[in-house]
Amino acid sequence: MLHVENLTKKLPDGRLLLDRVSLKVSRGEFVGILGASGAGKSLTLRCILGLTKADSGTATLHTEACGGKSYDLLTCKGREQRNCRRRMGVIFQGFNLVKRLRVLDNVMIGRLARIHPLRSWLYGFTDAEAAEALEALRRVKMDMHADRITGSLSGGEMQRVAIARAIFQKPAIYLADEPIAALDPSNSLGIMKLLAPLAQETPVVGVFHQPEMTARFCTRVVAIKAGRVVYDGDPRLSHNQLQDIYGDELMQVLRPAPTTPEPAIAESSRSLPVLANFA
Amino acid sequence: MLVPLVIVSAWLCQVRFSGLWHDLGKGLEVIRFFFPPDWSSLREMAGPALVTVLLAALATPLGVLLSLGFGLAGARNIAPPWLRTTARALIGVERALPEIIVLLLLVAALGVGPFPGVIALAIGSVGMLGKLFADAIEEIDPKVLESVSCVGATRWQVIRHAVLPEVMPAFLANSIFRFEVNIRASVLLGAVGAGGIGFELSKAMSLLEYERAMMAVLVTLLLVFGAERVSDWLRAKVMDGGRLA
Amino acid sequence: MSTLTAAPALTPAAYVPPSAQFRRRMIWLGSCALLMVLGGVYLKFKPWMLFTDFHHLVRLGGEMLPPNLAMLWHKPALFKTIGETVAMSFLGTLLGGAVAFVLAFFASRNTAPHRLLRAFTRLGFGLERATPNFVVLLVLFIAFGYGPFAAMLALALGSVGLFGKLFADAIEQADPGPCESVASVGATRLQVIRYAIIPQILPSVVANSFYAFDVNLRAAIALGVYGGGGIGFELQLAMKVLRYPDVLALILFIIVLITGMERVSDFVRRRLIQSSESLK
Repeated sequence: MLHVENLTKKLPDGRLLLDRVSLKVSRGEFVGILGASGAGKSLTLRCILGLTKADSGTATLHTEACGGKSYDLLTCKGREQRNCRRRMGVIFQGFNLVKRLRVLDNVMIGRLARIHPLRSWLYGFTDAEAAEALEALRRVKMDMHADRITGSLSGGEMQRVAIARAIFQKPAIYLADEPIAALDPSNSLGIMKLLAPLAQETPVVGVFHQPEMTARFCTRVVAIKAGRVVYDGDPRLSHNQLQDIYGDELMQVLRPAPTTPEPAIAESSRSLPVLANFA
Repeated sequence: MLVPLVIVSAWLCQVRFSGLWHDLGKGLEVIRFFFPPDWSSLREMAGPALVTVLLAALATPLGVLLSLGFGLAGARNIAPPWLRTTARALIGVERALPEIIVLLLLVAALGVGPFPGVIALAIGSVGMLGKLFADAIEEIDPKVLESVSCVGATRWQVIRHAVLPEVMPAFLANSIFRFEVNIRASVLLGAVGAGGIGFELSKAMSLLEYERAMMAVLVTLLLVFGAERVSDWLRAKVMDGGRLA
Repeated sequence: MSTLTAAPALTPAAYVPPSAQFRRRMIWLGSCALLMVLGGVYLKFKPWMLFTDFHHLVRLGGEMLPPNLAMLWHKPALFKTIGETVAMSFLGTLLGGAVAFVLAFFASRNTAPHRLLRAFTRLGFGLERATPNFVVLLVLFIAFGYGPFAAMLALALGSVGLFGKLFADAIEQADPGPCESVASVGATRLQVIRYAIIPQILPSVVANSFYAFDVNLRAAIALGVYGGGGIGFELQLAMKVLRYPDVLALILFIIVLITGMERVSDFVRRRLIQSSESLK
């Protein structure tokens, strides 16, 4: 479905950040991308999404649902790019939800590209769409919180909402950029358990930091090292292979994830702006 | 450093100490003229007081809408650089221009009446609110906007569904505060020709009807205090509710 | 750490469906709009004037161009009027600040000699702030005659209200610890204020003074229009005799003056903060 070929990204000084990265994702796959930090894992996703401009290479998305249409992801602009993005459900490391909206409204944002811009401005979504969004929330077990302000949720809950948004979007592929990097182990496990069944319907490509997670849940692992694909195959990697991928960072990666508290996200009561200065 | 500055400014302000006591005595004498206030004119003050409030009430939403436009145009994460620079420069000019000057110009062009008053107040709001809005919008986490545009939303959809909800509480609180400021300003502008209680007051003063003027002052105080209370109450409601239907 | 179970239990049915939300919003917007229209009708506010009378605005703009910038060298007295405006706001801020500084101690819970005195002073500040400063100016005109002196006093009085509240709040927020330790060595009330409270509130006093100067500069121009002298008065004169190129030139000077003074006061404030930090 997703076909990336020879994706290359250079710095202005000619250094290669991505060196001919090729990647093929087909139906039913849950692909985990591994690699040391700075290897170019997230950059690959950003290029596919068009958030960062790639220098050369191709990325194509074939959709079976809409009459087998395929999208050229790297060259599209404007309306065409929005059409591409609409077919990719993205999950971010930092959740990146609109914190002051209700949970349900945040999920419904996933459909923005499908409704007329004028309607989204003047009326918003219909009750039927809301019911469907609630269904998506139910899938991630967040339907109880539909009416809460998103900023008051915990990190794990926010990531569930972000997944619900991606589900509601009905994409042709899910792209997850370090979806569990900001979460504690139990929440991480929860998120992985949500993503794995999703992959059976719609392929998931995720960037991960934990080889033990990818070994347990992914159907395939792609490893990137210094901008190059160095491994593509079975998710169960041997210690030597990991050593090869991560180099010095290996010990950090294999250590059980630190149980540091989640970043403070609930900042629902941001202070009043300093009004006095503008009397 | 401070002393020569004070001396120069005192000279420029024509500060004089001879006869200061005499003048002060005269001032106190004058204040006596203001009492007792002319309670019988209270009824006549109701209309002008309403006009003052309405001037502010019409000008504030207009000014808020105008400022919203300027705020969006002046935010780095929404507008292209040339637009941002232009918008910020205009906001800066507006901030430097007291409302009364805008009003004088409008009165010179359009004559006295509520229209120049409302427009002057609305334009006056842009200097303060435009800057606040633009700053608030620039504070939004760019990743949030990125994530919304990643579902394929247009720029305007991002504004409607991500930018506006994020800045709404600050936006409302500042707008309410601006309403309070506009009430004060509309009294001030009234004296120059926008009508309302300010006009009533300066008329009474120039006709030497001090008791009546005192009544106007009392009504003004009532308006200003009332606006302060209402605005404090509304702001508290907006800020702690967080939930804006 | 997982808060999934701890969150308040909301039944899924509790959410407000979009259509209801939309209806509620429309009712709010509609009633606000209706009120505004009614208000506009009462005021005889004619928004279409912007279009029907637009040519008047264009005409005025045409008359103002080109700005008579030559005023600057043909009329040296202009510098004096600009100086007057700055001097008014400077002296007004200083005087008002000084008075407010003293009064603030009577208005703060932790330093006021008596509760009633505190309430009284606070009320005074409140009245001061609420009274439009041109009203004060009109009274002062009668006592001191037209001119910058009266305007300066009006600004000073206005600053007392603004400063007084800010200073008093700063004093009330001062940390009681140092006060108690100073008092425990047998200091008098005045000594406590001198050695424990003033050092604590000084930064906020300085910052607020600069802020008040900026506010007062704008107010000084406005008061000038009412007869307080300075560049505002000059502007109003030029308006009265319909010398629009002069008006535009004066407006430009005002813009330059205000933005310039903002920069200057910003610069001085930063220098002050730096020098106070280097002293520590």
